[in-house]
Amino acid sequence: MASDLTIGAARPARKRSMGLGAGMLVQAWRTAEFKVGLVVFIGLMLISIFGPDLLGLSATRFDVAARFLPPMPLDGSRWPHLLGTDQLGRDLFVRSFIGLRNALVIGVTSVIGMFLVGSLVGMVAGYWSGWVSLVLMRLTDAQMSIPVIILAITILGVSRPTPASIILVLILAGWPAYARFARSATLSERRREYVKGAQILGAMDPRILFVHIAPNILPPIAFVAILDVARMMIFEAIFGFIGIGVQPPTPTFGTIIADGMKYLINAWWITTIPGLLLAISLCSINLMGGALERARNKRLQGVG
Amino acid sequence: MSTRKVVLEVKGLSVQLQREEGPAAQILSDVALTLAQDEVIGIIGESGSGKTVLSRALVNWVRAPLRVTSGSLLYRGRDLFRLPESEMQRLRGREIAYIGSDPGSALDPTLPVGNQIVEKLCAINPSLTKSEATAQALRVLDAVRIPSPKQRFHEFPFQFSGGMMQRAMIVDALVTNPAFLVADNITQPLDVTVAAQILRLLRELQRDFNTAIIFVSSALGVVNEIADSVLVLASGKVVEEQPVRSLVAAPEHDYTRQLIRDVPRIWSDGGASGPVSAEPAGERETVLSVRDVAKFYEVRDRRRLFGRRTVQAVRGVTFDAYKGENLGIVGESGCGKSTLSRLLSHLEAPDRGQILFKGQDIAHMSSKQILALRHRFQLLLQDPYNAIPPHLNIGRTIAEALLVHGGLRRKEIDERVRSTMAEVGLPAEIHDSLPVGLSAGQRQRVNIARAMVLDPELLILDETLSALDQVEQGKLLALFERLQVRRGITYVYITHDLSMVRRVCNRIAVMYLGRIVELATNEATFFNPSHPYTRALLSAVPVIEERPYKAETYLLEGEPPDPIDIPPGCTFRTRCPFAFDRCAAEDPILLRRGPADFAACHLGDEAAAREGRSLPRVFESTR
Repeated sequence: MASDLTIGAARPARKRSMGLGAGMLVQAWRTAEFKVGLVVFIGLMLISIFGPDLLGLSATRFDVAARFLPPMPLDGSRWPHLLGTDQLGRDLFVRSFIGLRNALVIGVTSVIGMFLVGSLVGMVAGYWSGWVSLVLMRLTDAQMSIPVIILAITILGVSRPTPASIILVLILAGWPAYARFARSATLSERRREYVKGAQILGAMDPRILFVHIAPNILPPIAFVAILDVARMMIFEAIFGFIGIGVQPPTPTFGTIIADGMKYLINAWWITTIPGLLLAISLCSINLMGGALERARNKRLQGVG
Repeated sequence: MSTRKVVLEVKGLSVQLQREEGPAAQILSDVALTLAQDEVIGIIGESGSGKTVLSRALVNWVRAPLRVTSGSLLYRGRDLFRLPESEMQRLRGREIAYIGSDPGSALDPTLPVGNQIVEKLCAINPSLTKSEATAQALRVLDAVRIPSPKQRFHEFPFQFSGGMMQRAMIVDALVTNPAFLVADNITQPLDVTVAAQILRLLRELQRDFNTAIIFVSSALGVVNEIADSVLVLASGKVVEEQPVRSLVAAPEHDYTRQLIRDVPRIWSDGGASGPVSAEPAGERETVLSVRDVAKFYEVRDRRRLFGRRTVQAVRGVTFDAYKGENLGIVGESGCGKSTLSRLLSHLEAPDRGQILFKGQDIAHMSSKQILALRHRFQLLLQDPYNAIPPHLNIGRTIAEALLVHGGLRRKEIDERVRSTMAEVGLPAEIHDSLPVGLSAGQRQRVNIARAMVLDPELLILDETLSALDQVEQGKLLALFERLQVRRGITYVYITHDLSMVRRVCNRIAVMYLGRIVELATNEATFFNPSHPYTRALLSAVPVIEERPYKAETYLLEGEPPDPIDIPPGCTFRTRCPFAFDRCAAEDPILLRRGPADFAACHLGDEAAAREGRSLPRVFESTR
């Protein structure tokens, strides 16, 4: 009870000294789903960075004697293969977490890239109507008409797929959606009175666009982008699955799952464990994204 | 009185706002009222006094976080609060009707207006056939004087003007012949002449349909026009209830007295309510000179594939604003006021004519010069909610003006922001908070501070005060006056509020369809206007005093013509009660009528005088 009172008394003072961003984080931190998401996410990150080295296992070394070992508590499992081994006796724990690391790097970088490119194009097209908008939006339409998989097969099929080229393909395939969204948001925001207010003060167009319009339209887009990280990780897995992803011996979710498919009946864990890891990490990201978005809305409506 | 049947009886009604944290706030406490058949009760109060909550509570439409804590709502002896929801659903719309203040959001934008009314009729009376319902809807549309109802029936809400939509809402509410109607601030978004038409219409319909009406409004002048008795609401309590005449004549409660004292007077108490700095005599420095400015917009013609039509928004406006004066530009919506304000503040360039600021033509300036000019030349926008960015804190919003113009160090900017905030009456604590919790008045002060921090010489106020209530308006006007005395600012008030213009402006320009039809001093505009349109406006202003310009003589019917098809001759003749044959042939120009008075009307020139035509004289001599 006493702690409740002190929080209540301290809040107005703290609220006054915080900007929108910091206030949003504090607000989000108060919700359970943000905490859960953050703890799970940080845990996964730590394991995927330090786990493989701690266990002292290699992701690529074969061990024919230790093929198809099930995950730990099950019969026939053996230390240190926590999550069992695959058809060649490679440790699944290490492979999965390295796969997760790659998937995360590719997912996050590609989303940031497509968010930046798409939003910039969309905002420019939305703010300056006329031929600028026309050219940019037709370009967007052209890009949008090519399916991701076709684009990926064309580009990654003729060159050797590296993480960088995969990221590039994903950005190329993903930015038009952001451009469309940013353009429509800019179009409606441009007609708002505060934009007119800034014009009256004498602000130049770039200033209006980046200081006044961008902070209002980008956060909602960014929250959608967080959900897209998940989608990009799935795409990365799909690329791996059809053989145009990051090439073996580097383990990725896609290649592990694709290889494990053949042994699904006898050794279900080979495909299930990377799949579960993917699902858990996506859940944690979405939980955090959702909490942040709700926190921002609350702050702007003055509820929290 | 006792012989009349009581329709609605409210006893001890209390409503609380349940907050997530902290104690519940009392919104209404112990409200009691009795509404008899075919009686009109007006409810007035400032914003925040609980008017809207009360009007919602009267139709048993209180939703969380609001909660009715006590009281009963007896409709013909039955307590509505204790009725099951299905029963309530049956009463609402059939016997109890409600009209809100925003007709635009009350109609479904995807359905023709007529269909929406028919749908309601059929829902209420399933035995009605479609054609019967249509016929009935058409009858009522005709009754509210919607021109050519047959054609209007099939039009969509966006094709209706605000006044037409409000009429449609009245139709929608009255079509089922309800026992009582709650009208929540229905004239607020409308122009004065249209609002006056709606009030007159409501009064007539009330007689024809025998409907009891509860008329909620924030303006005593409006309530005065329609209500039999008035309930005064102050912070959720009824402080006084009286018949309207005696309330105005002899208010009993202190709050009511204050309220009545605050209502602006136009004609009574003589020049005392006129502007303080009313001294337009002598040669004074011209700050802003507008010469024959016109603006046209091209719009798509939807009837033809590649057709384009021209909207003549502003059609040749000429006036000067002198240093230190208050110039008012009044007119109804669609008369080109807002376009003019955009032209004056150089958001858009005029298609014709010149705008000179201190003798320099704005059109021929480089962008650098214009930026320098904006320092001295600011526009205040209408909507306090959208005009300030939601994501920046107050201090940063005000500082933005200085950041845009540059050349100052952080510390200097911060000092100027804080001193300006103090000057316009903003508490220093809100410097770092987001604008979200601020009231409309405070937001408008932020807006003012943002302009003032640049130290301008000319301020254009585009309906800046119309979103605020009377008290807040008064405070801001006093603030403008103080700033004017201290800094010698010139104000151009662009507004539809005649009583405010009467209070503050030295000279007044009346606009109609993109042109100034009368430009005169304050006295001449209100006591001897030479244009029938000015008189029509004056006959429609909601006031609590005896008006010299009677609605029977001057009030207009209908709405201004479309600015696309402007009628030849005098543009006002289609609605002018005094129009004669010359008006159709010749377009009158602004001619001198007095020392500083100009009007564009054939009535009052020599040729018309020879024919014995003139406007009736109301005040024997211009005072």
